[in-house]
Amino acid sequence: MEQVTSNSFRRRAIVICLNLSLGLGFPSFCQAAGEPTEYQVKAAFLLNFTKFIEWPAAAFETPAAPIAICILGDDPFGSALDHFVAGEVVNGRKVTVERIKRAPPPKACQVLFTARSEKDAARSLLGLGMGTLTVGESEAFVRDGGMIAFVVEDRRVRFEINQTAAQSAGLKLSSRLLNVAKSVE
Amino acid sequence: MLSFRDIPIKQKLMIVVMVTTTAALLLAGFGIVAADSLLFRGYLQRDLSAVARMVADNSTAALKFNDPESAAETLAALRAKPHVAAACIYGQDGKVFARYLRPDANTQCPPADVRDESRFSADGLIVSRAILLGGRRIGTLVLLYDLGEIAERMRLYSATVLGVLLFSSAIAFPLSSKLRAVIATPISRLAAAATSVSQTGDYSVRAQKLSGDELGVLVDRFNEMLAGIQSRDGTLRTVLRDREEALRDAEKARERFRFLAESMPQKIFTATPAGDRNYFNRQFTEFTGLCFEQIENWGWTQAVHPDDVEADVRAWRRSIATGEPYHFQHRLRRADGVYRWHLTRAHAMRDAHGDISMWIGSNTDIHEQKETEEELRRANEDLQQFAYSASHDLQEPIRNVAVYSEIVAKRYSHLLDAEGLQFLGFLTEGGRRLITLINDLLTYTRAGLIEGKMTTADASAALQHALASLAEAIRENNATVTYDKLPQVSMGESHLQQVFQNLIGNALKYRSETPPQIEISAAYHGGAWRFSVRDNGIGIDAPYKEVIFGVFKRLHRDQKYGGTGIGLAICQRVVERYGGRIWVESSLGKGSTFFFTVPEYAVRTQSAAV
Repeated sequence: MEQVTSNSFRRRAIVICLNLSLGLGFPSFCQAAGEPTEYQVKAAFLLNFTKFIEWPAAAFETPAAPIAICILGDDPFGSALDHFVAGEVVNGRKVTVERIKRAPPPKACQVLFTARSEKDAARSLLGLGMGTLTVGESEAFVRDGGMIAFVVEDRRVRFEINQTAAQSAGLKLSSRLLNVAKSVE
Repeated sequence: MLSFRDIPIKQKLMIVVMVTTTAALLLAGFGIVAADSLLFRGYLQRDLSAVARMVADNSTAALKFNDPESAAETLAALRAKPHVAAACIYGQDGKVFARYLRPDANTQCPPADVRDESRFSADGLIVSRAILLGGRRIGTLVLLYDLGEIAERMRLYSATVLGVLLFSSAIAFPLSSKLRAVIATPISRLAAAATSVSQTGDYSVRAQKLSGDELGVLVDRFNEMLAGIQSRDGTLRTVLRDREEALRDAEKARERFRFLAESMPQKIFTATPAGDRNYFNRQFTEFTGLCFEQIENWGWTQAVHPDDVEADVRAWRRSIATGEPYHFQHRLRRADGVYRWHLTRAHAMRDAHGDISMWIGSNTDIHEQKETEEELRRANEDLQQFAYSASHDLQEPIRNVAVYSEIVAKRYSHLLDAEGLQFLGFLTEGGRRLITLINDLLTYTRAGLIEGKMTTADASAALQHALASLAEAIRENNATVTYDKLPQVSMGESHLQQVFQNLIGNALKYRSETPPQIEISAAYHGGAWRFSVRDNGIGIDAPYKEVIFGVFKRLHRDQKYGGTGIGLAICQRVVERYGGRIWVESSLGKGSTFFFTVPEYAVRTQSAAV
């Protein structure tokens, strides 16, 4: 596993550990004494995406249904994502993590992360209903119709956005999210 | 250098207007600047807070996704606000996550604050704002806004105020010059009028009224005052002139009086209404050898003979109290110590209201006269005494002659022949006449004696008694006697009766052919009662009017008119003893009127000496 670090990230992690009681930032991610790993960063990003995106009501089974983050393929996050999500409430909805083996039915997943283990990531996009944010790990994923793809650039985790795909799925992406994206199609 | 108090009103008004204008403008200017400064600070705080919120919102994603470049780009948008000197985003670790520093500003990021606040510091306005995402703080935005803008605004305002001040002064100066004339000109005119009056003393000057305000009222009052003064001034001048004239006249009169008094041979004095003598002429001081200071007021009494002083002072006080003329004979001491008799008289001078204004008196030297009088009186008294004694002593032998001649006539008439009887008849008749004559003489000498004490006589009663005594003669002559109501007089009643009896008796005696008509009346005149007895008898020829009052003076020697010729002499003697006078008005054949006076206050000219 590639160690992706940045000075700011490492320092932030330390501050977070010191400020646990305040409930700031990454609440329970303190097991690493040094830099956060690439997937720890990506796990945090996954949760952060939910805060800058608006889902249509039709994307949920019930009004009180949680925002489900589904991991398709081998889980690269370990316990990191579960840690981040625990206790988080976004727009009045809890956030849950699901690990799935095949493409989910409509309304089951609000965020679908396709892991590198899925050779044919594009296939996982097929048959998805409205209201599912798709996140992948390569630029090709975005070209193939995915909405957000992580890219590692200069040892920093960044992401690209396919706004057209997101719009056609009925999602509204915050302009602030678009501002921080490496590129937007 | 003139103080503000002393400069002319024109300049005062100018200064007041300019100071007021300037003060008002400056205050207004400061007020506006102060208010604007406060308002602007408030506005600035709100504006920057809004900007900070916007920037903070736009920075959430950059913070969440660890993208300082994006955050810096967001911050860089603040270039549009040139006074933002610094804008910094702090992450949760308290480190600067992104910053924007204005290129020219030599500043650093201000320290972050956990509270949302905006505060003014020395560097400028610092606004801190939490960056929140989903209700959680994920960072802090701090803005530093330099106060160059406020300073700029202050400079702009100051320049504006100064400009307005200069401009308004430029307008106000000529404007107030015009306006102050409205107030200053009437005051100047008034002051000029007042100065003119005080310098020339000409009260006919009037101030011109230019307005209807308080100044106009002032001018009116001033003019009224001047008119009042002018009128009073005129009156005063007249009064002064009159008074001066009166004083001159009084001085002239005084001079005249002094000249007159000094040129008189008598001693002259004057006294105040209270009786203090305040002037003596030279004759008085030279006679007494006393100077004015010694004899003024009551000092003159030292020159009066000690025996006369008491009565003199009493008489003087009485005159002062009653206002009646003062009339007194006394001895005054000459410088060489010799006393000389003087008759002193004083009369009260009265003013228009009848009040006594002063007394004027004189002392006349009557010493020689008095001596002669005294000698005469003594001689007279001696003569009287002699006459009385003589007639008294004569009575006895004469009576003997009369009595014995009658006895001879009764008892021895047969022894006498016719011639002897005739001679005896002459003897008896002569004796009777001698007795009558001597009785009258006694009466005459007694008339010189005034009754022991002063009495008041009722003239009517005296007349009644006289008429009763004459009743027989009146009836015989078929006479008519008429009389008025007569007064009370200071005179012995028997004396008055004697006078009436003699005068009426004469009227009956010297009657004409027609029955006698006799009128008696009295009138008050010049301080005395004047009685008159009028008849329609034979009258008296002018040359004899004085003679008839002599003793034994008879105009008619014939037997037709009997009498001793002593009646009128007795009357004169009685009347003169009481200070009165007796005289007759008559012409031959037309009747006579005898008058005699009795002073209201009879004077005892002589003590009873016989």
